[in-house]
Amino acid sequence: MKHILDLTIAEIHEALLEGKVTPLDLTKEALRRCKENKDNAFEMIIEEDALKKADELSKMPVPKDNFFFGIPYVAKDNFSTKGYETTASSNILNGYIPLFDASVIKYLNEAGAIMIAKSTLDELAMGGTGTTGHKGITFNPWDKSHTRLVGGSSAGSAVSVSDAIVPFALGSDTGDSVRKPASYSGLVGFKPTWGLVSRFGLFPFAPSLDHVAYFTRSVFDAAIATSLLSRHDENDSTSSYKDRPNYLNLDSSVKGKKIAVIKGIINSITDKHVLNVFDKSVNFLEKNGAKVDYIDFNADLLKAIYPAYVVISCAEATSNDANLDGIKFGPNYGGKSYQEVMFNARTKGFSALIKRRFVIGSYALMRENQNEVFLRAQKARRLIVDACNKIFESYDAIYCPAAPSIAPFINKTSENVSEDFMIADNWLAIGNFGGYPSITLPIGFENDLPFGANLICKPFDEINLFNISLKIEEGTGLKNLSYPKYMEEKEAK
Amino acid sequence: MNFETVVGIEIHVEMKTKSKMFSLAPISFGLTPNTEVVALDIAFPGTMPRVNKEAVKNAIRVSNALHMHIDQEIWFDRKNYFYSDLPKGYQITQQARPIGSEGYLVINVDGKEKKIGIERLHMEEDTCMQHHFSDYTLLDYNRAGIPLIEIVSKPEIRSGEEARKYVEKIREIVTFSNVSDGKMEEGSLRCDVNVSIRPYGSDKFGTKVEIKNLNSIANVEKAIDYEARRQSELLLLGKEVEQETRRFDEAKKETVLMRKKTDAADYKYFTEPNIPPIRLSDEFVKDAIDTCPELYDEKLYRFLNNYKLNEVDAKILLASVEMADYYDKAAKFTSLYQPLANFMISEVNGYLNKNNLTISKFNIDPKFISELVELLQSKKINSSQGKQIFEKLVKENRSPLIIQKELGATLVNDEGTILKLVLEVLDANPTLRDDFKAGKTRTQGFVMGQIMKKTGGKVDPMIANKLILQELKK
Repeated sequence: MKHILDLTIAEIHEALLEGKVTPLDLTKEALRRCKENKDNAFEMIIEEDALKKADELSKMPVPKDNFFFGIPYVAKDNFSTKGYETTASSNILNGYIPLFDASVIKYLNEAGAIMIAKSTLDELAMGGTGTTGHKGITFNPWDKSHTRLVGGSSAGSAVSVSDAIVPFALGSDTGDSVRKPASYSGLVGFKPTWGLVSRFGLFPFAPSLDHVAYFTRSVFDAAIATSLLSRHDENDSTSSYKDRPNYLNLDSSVKGKKIAVIKGIINSITDKHVLNVFDKSVNFLEKNGAKVDYIDFNADLLKAIYPAYVVISCAEATSNDANLDGIKFGPNYGGKSYQEVMFNARTKGFSALIKRRFVIGSYALMRENQNEVFLRAQKARRLIVDACNKIFESYDAIYCPAAPSIAPFINKTSENVSEDFMIADNWLAIGNFGGYPSITLPIGFENDLPFGANLICKPFDEINLFNISLKIEEGTGLKNLSYPKYMEEKEAK
Repeated sequence: MNFETVVGIEIHVEMKTKSKMFSLAPISFGLTPNTEVVALDIAFPGTMPRVNKEAVKNAIRVSNALHMHIDQEIWFDRKNYFYSDLPKGYQITQQARPIGSEGYLVINVDGKEKKIGIERLHMEEDTCMQHHFSDYTLLDYNRAGIPLIEIVSKPEIRSGEEARKYVEKIREIVTFSNVSDGKMEEGSLRCDVNVSIRPYGSDKFGTKVEIKNLNSIANVEKAIDYEARRQSELLLLGKEVEQETRRFDEAKKETVLMRKKTDAADYKYFTEPNIPPIRLSDEFVKDAIDTCPELYDEKLYRFLNNYKLNEVDAKILLASVEMADYYDKAAKFTSLYQPLANFMISEVNGYLNKNNLTISKFNIDPKFISELVELLQSKKINSSQGKQIFEKLVKENRSPLIIQKELGATLVNDEGTILKLVLEVLDANPTLRDDFKAGKTRTQGFVMGQIMKKTGGKVDPMIANKLILQELKK
């Protein structure tokens, strides 16, 4: 019972079916861990309603194969949750209580999952460090001295799963906001194809890049979540009409699969240990019948990933957050004119970092700059996507380390910003550029801190992605990783 | 005048679709403020736009009526600016690819046809309504998100009169196609007019002045004529026309300065990322066009050729689409088309005018109007009986045939009975026959009057007249 939350969704479901545990036991334990956690991961803990729902579910029979029944989960605080304050960790949204649930929240609630908390993020999901939300720094649970980043923007959700508070947490991924923190916290972080999972109710950052994404502790759990969440939603006009396959029909076979490793990304990583461990996982894939090639990728395009991402995401963000003007949202500090009301609300409501992004976005969209900045970034995006699509003509997947290192120190985030480092640190955005399914999973440790690799497939090729990831997971043995369990096992040794 | 007037017009038409352009909020105009609103209309974070199919159909129909090229791939853009009436901080519009482009319409000037080119037609969403008070402003989001089409003419209009005719024609198209109420006074059709002047023969444009807040078609004409005069007076005095926005002051019949134009605002347009391009099938476009309610010109053709109405009457009936529709419905129950038209124009219109009503508020079953027309034409009742029945009909909305029976409103048309009545009068007035023969024409009328008096006007006057003549001549 004590360790039941250290298990995967699939394992907890078994335990529920066997009557070893009830939704109420799980929820109580999750809430206890939630309150004990010291990593500043939560905007709000939803105790009363969660316990009430858990109690109701505990009186019902556990439906077989409804994996999410009775499973406690955490949602990033940029998902609209009816009746629960949702701030996206920004002061400008303090006190905003939505009137509707995001579609994914609705699907989870309907399946019987129990939302126990809303988690912290970089303000308005703009950031990759987990340090810029209005509640301050969210810490990496693997480093109890609180010196390291957990990464962002889905910082609190990463903490929730890697600290074994819940087996599942919703995040959002615009550049790498789930897949990067997953690497820093030893988790599976999965972003499905753009259009597969409804974004309705996700606070937009940059809609052409935004994805609902999620943290789990196993590849199979990511597939389970995809089974539940992937469906057409008429509330989201970009939601795909394609028939969804059975995401649980997986065989983890890589025989005959062709996998591309991009040399330019590997070459930009200086951490030998990361590279060695990555090589091992490549060898394992080859041993199991996959063909892995180290391929070239236009160096200029690799260098263009980050600037293109910044320009496009900031440009879209200026527009998406223009509704936060103190008239409908945000504290109204008054003013002699509507301009003054907006000026006051936005001056006080946003941090300097956000304002900086708005200035960049606005600058990029200005008539005199649009061609040279915004449209050029869009062109770069298209060229990068074309280059990836070209790879997918001959390969099933692109595979590289998810980040150049283990979780960085909080105060040293600006070091190492050489052009090369930037490539390995930001390459995951190609998954957002092309809307590709992309998964990060842990492959190793350095000083007891985890790091991961990332796999990207062509759009709607989730099955292939899960199968290859399952094989990698089998090779590393790093399934169901969490800090408490890791420490316990380490001590036992 | 030494100068040629050059006018371009932008028209915003509010559609009367059941729901809004990008949300499912219902539209029914004029309800309590902020009751026809869903989360998207107030820009709640996480809401996403859904394109209203009906609005797209409407845009296709109007584009088609204006002979425009129809883009079969629908794209939307964001127009970014901060304003208190703009919920999202941007408006979703069609900047780069309007659904309709390069069309025209034909107006009639001095008996000649003139083509006015139309540059573009695009779909967008309305902003919320602001009610300004001395120290605060109230916002009504009922209007926020109502579908609009914007129609932009080329600068090919040359006078206030042409402008009036152009707007009338647009109004006619959007009302007959059932796209809009087209009411300028209520803001469901809004005109912004650009006016400049230049020497005749010049191919360069003068500095243009924009006129806003025009609340009637008549004012469009007046404002342009005034503005052209004002500009030419300036130029003749050696002054310059400044680029500015003016409004029309109805009381003074003048345009007055609202603001000087500085550099055109930068709306930082980019493609709306939450609406993927929508490919319209040929069938969808064809169906939208085929099912478009009949437009004015087609209707006029049909009224002249099928109903054989005279042109003056047909045009009176076509003055509003509701009147024309009412006539069409009534015409299903009779083939006396011209008498029906006459009755609509004199009696029904008279009633509406007297009671300050419009035809849309006239709830009488069109079938009953036709029955009444048939009754009148069959000579079973006379016109005063007809009036009596009509009065009851508009109150009770019941069959004129039943009302007729209840009133006992019938005409005596049996020749024997009428002859008896004639003879009674002649017998009582023995000099009448001689008077008639002596050429006193009034004799005839006197007899008729006596008969009518006796019967309370219920004698068929045609038959009576024939018999009176016949007996007087004896």
